[in-house]
Amino acid sequence: MTNYETLLSVENLSVGVSDKRKINTVIDNISFEVKKGEIIGIVGESGSGKTMTALSVIGLLPPSVKILSGKVNFHGKNLLTIEDKEFRRLRGSEISMVFQDSMTSFNPLLTIGAQVEEMLRLHSKYEKEEYKALTIEALAEVGLSKPQEIYQKYPHQLSGGMRQRAMIAMAMITRPKLVIADEPTTALDVTTQSKILGLLKKMNEKHGTSIILISHDLRVIQSICDRAIVMKDGKIVEAGPTQELFSDPENEYTKKLLAAIPVPFSKNSIMSNDIQNEIFIRNLERSGNTLKKDIPDPAEQKNRQDDILMIKNLNVFYSENGKRLLGKRSRKQVIHNMTFSVKQGETLGIVGESGSGKSTLAKAIVGLNKEIEGIININDGATEGLVSFLSKPQMVFQDPYGSLNPTKKIGWILEEPLKLQTKLKKKERLAKVNEIIREVGLSTEHLKRYPSQLSGGQRQRVAIAASLIVNPKLVILDEPVSSLDVTIQAQILRLLKDLQKKYNLTYVFISHDLNVIFQICDRVCVIYQGEIVEMKEAKELFFRPDHEYTKELLKSAMLISKNCCHI
Amino acid sequence: MKKMVKIKGKTYHLNYILGLVITSLVLLIVIIGFFYTPYDPNTMNAALKNSPPSLMHPLGTDNFGRDILSRVMVGAGTTYVIAVSIVLIGAFFGTVVGALTGYFGGWLDEVIMRFNDVLTAIPSILLALVFVSIFGPGTYNIIFALGILFVPSYARVIRSEFIVLRERDFVNNAKLMGAGSLRIMFIHILPNTRNVLIPALLIGFNNAVLAEAGLSYLGLGVQPPQASLGRMLSEAQSYLLDSPWYALAPGLMIILTVLGFSLISGGMGND
Repeated sequence: MTNYETLLSVENLSVGVSDKRKINTVIDNISFEVKKGEIIGIVGESGSGKTMTALSVIGLLPPSVKILSGKVNFHGKNLLTIEDKEFRRLRGSEISMVFQDSMTSFNPLLTIGAQVEEMLRLHSKYEKEEYKALTIEALAEVGLSKPQEIYQKYPHQLSGGMRQRAMIAMAMITRPKLVIADEPTTALDVTTQSKILGLLKKMNEKHGTSIILISHDLRVIQSICDRAIVMKDGKIVEAGPTQELFSDPENEYTKKLLAAIPVPFSKNSIMSNDIQNEIFIRNLERSGNTLKKDIPDPAEQKNRQDDILMIKNLNVFYSENGKRLLGKRSRKQVIHNMTFSVKQGETLGIVGESGSGKSTLAKAIVGLNKEIEGIININDGATEGLVSFLSKPQMVFQDPYGSLNPTKKIGWILEEPLKLQTKLKKKERLAKVNEIIREVGLSTEHLKRYPSQLSGGQRQRVAIAASLIVNPKLVILDEPVSSLDVTIQAQILRLLKDLQKKYNLTYVFISHDLNVIFQICDRVCVIYQGEIVEMKEAKELFFRPDHEYTKELLKSAMLISKNCCHI
Repeated sequence: MKKMVKIKGKTYHLNYILGLVITSLVLLIVIIGFFYTPYDPNTMNAALKNSPPSLMHPLGTDNFGRDILSRVMVGAGTTYVIAVSIVLIGAFFGTVVGALTGYFGGWLDEVIMRFNDVLTAIPSILLALVFVSIFGPGTYNIIFALGILFVPSYARVIRSEFIVLRERDFVNNAKLMGAGSLRIMFIHILPNTRNVLIPALLIGFNNAVLAEAGLSYLGLGVQPPQASLGRMLSEAQSYLLDSPWYALAPGLMIILTVLGFSLISGGMGND
């Protein structure tokens, strides 16, 4: 491995954003090398400067960002001083990029074929027919079946995984020497994730392309990278061969990152103590419960037995509007004949890939989707409470950017549900808002801010606060931590647990991430194409899965995190 | 090329600042015109017919010997009041229609938007002519006619924003809180359309100024002796060669108005 010659070397690169006359350094004096045929991983949390590093290599920094000092040498040429025209030629033919969000990175108005082909047209000269043939060949190479048909399709007609494959085809079609993949799998399901990573690895081996893989997910980095760089606050805190770096981290931050990866029930995991304790305690409780079965605590027994949510023979439909005035509405069934119940105080995990109907189910439960057949029975016991709010089930959405109104201040957002659902006076409402904001670990200072002035984790705390302020008994959490960094994820999960204990909440926790599910859920329900394929106690499911699909899910989750488990 | 200017630590577009300067100058003239003019804008003076700019009359006099500066000050005021009224009518009804159709969709949306398409298909000045020939010329009639004609463009802009925004999770969140449709539409969603609504208002004001000028030029809007920029242009054309200053003054006023607002709306979006 040491014999590879250097393809790209970044020397003492510093990059800054000028803001109000002072310059904020976002990349601080970093140096690294990429050798030919190597896959190098850059890992760090959001804001660590990993994307900026990639953008400065490919020369696509936004105009407000300035290069302060340093060199980026590619094939002996300094990319920072090279002429625009020359750089344009290099971009695409020698260096290309795979972006995170394949939906927005493709032009929605052009077919996949036309867009992949354009890459080739810009950088080489062939006959018209040859272009098409080469494009179709490239689409076939990335594992897209029926490339002829894909060629004709528009981006929205493909699934996320297929789009990401097409994106890789586009990046690889000119046989570049270096591909920069910025979070290429973050938006994808876990089974698709492992396939895409496999594809990147295959392309790397087949064509000898060097890859810079940027991710916040250590498991992704570990699965295919030869070497890795850990970044924090624009600095490289640690670098080295992946195996060494992750088995024997020297830097405190690397250790912290590794610790935050959810590695449930693993004997050797170095998970943060709190979480491990929680799990340990929960295990004890569980075994305790079975031991104490003969002398049940009557109150607890009653609580445990009460079903807060009962779903019977539920079918949920999704209707597509007819395109024309008199066009027929077509109805698509998303959820097929589901029956399950959730007990008071428990956390039910719902896991499945995108398109499996998880979110549709969540929307049906809270009443956002009205096209249902069957029974959804919510028994919230609202009559018992002293302050009897109308405690409809509330929901926390995946994307806190989208679920908080960007034009309203946090204080307004938190007060709004009280205005609508209670008859509290202005003063009482404010008192309640002040109470809840502290409850979720923020201060009253944050009430005066707009959502855009908060970080992702803070925003998700606000979203949780907004859903809890009306004292619901049942909260549906739809991928509440999927868009967050691992260390923030761990914090939010801990917050959710604390709140659950304090208010005796019942959670329905939806996620595609088995590791997160494993960490927080008592029972897990696996959904595949709108049907429940398996439903069990969490531990049971993970160690003794029955259904083939569950096994496959677990396998791909483990494949990505296999190295973590060896630590 | 974007040029940025820094003022008190904030960066603005150069265009935005220029637009603000021009617009505030124009507005200053109009506001003074409401309270004070050098001469009575409607007093005729046979001795001073079509006299060129002088110290007494800085912009000259018109064919009836009326002071052009005074008439421009008052006329611009008239034009602005008309334009603002047109935009307010158009934006108000346009927003309501756009919000309803965008939020609910379905057959209501189809019917209203197709009607909207029909309205947009015909040049607005032509439709305004039809209105005015039915209801007769006059200030209120052109406000009414042009106001109605401005509805479709606002409806379209607001509708497309609502279609995007209604799918956002904060709207779902509001539904879960128990907010009613009207509250969701006008309290939760509407403020989020300001990024397109405010430039649309400014551009709409420009179009309204031009439309008023056009209709008054054709003699269908403001009736003599009341002054408006369009009316003055229309009267000035007969004397274009002999006394060009007559057309120049109201023409420049229109140009400065439209330019100022265009620069502001253009420079605003990309901060």
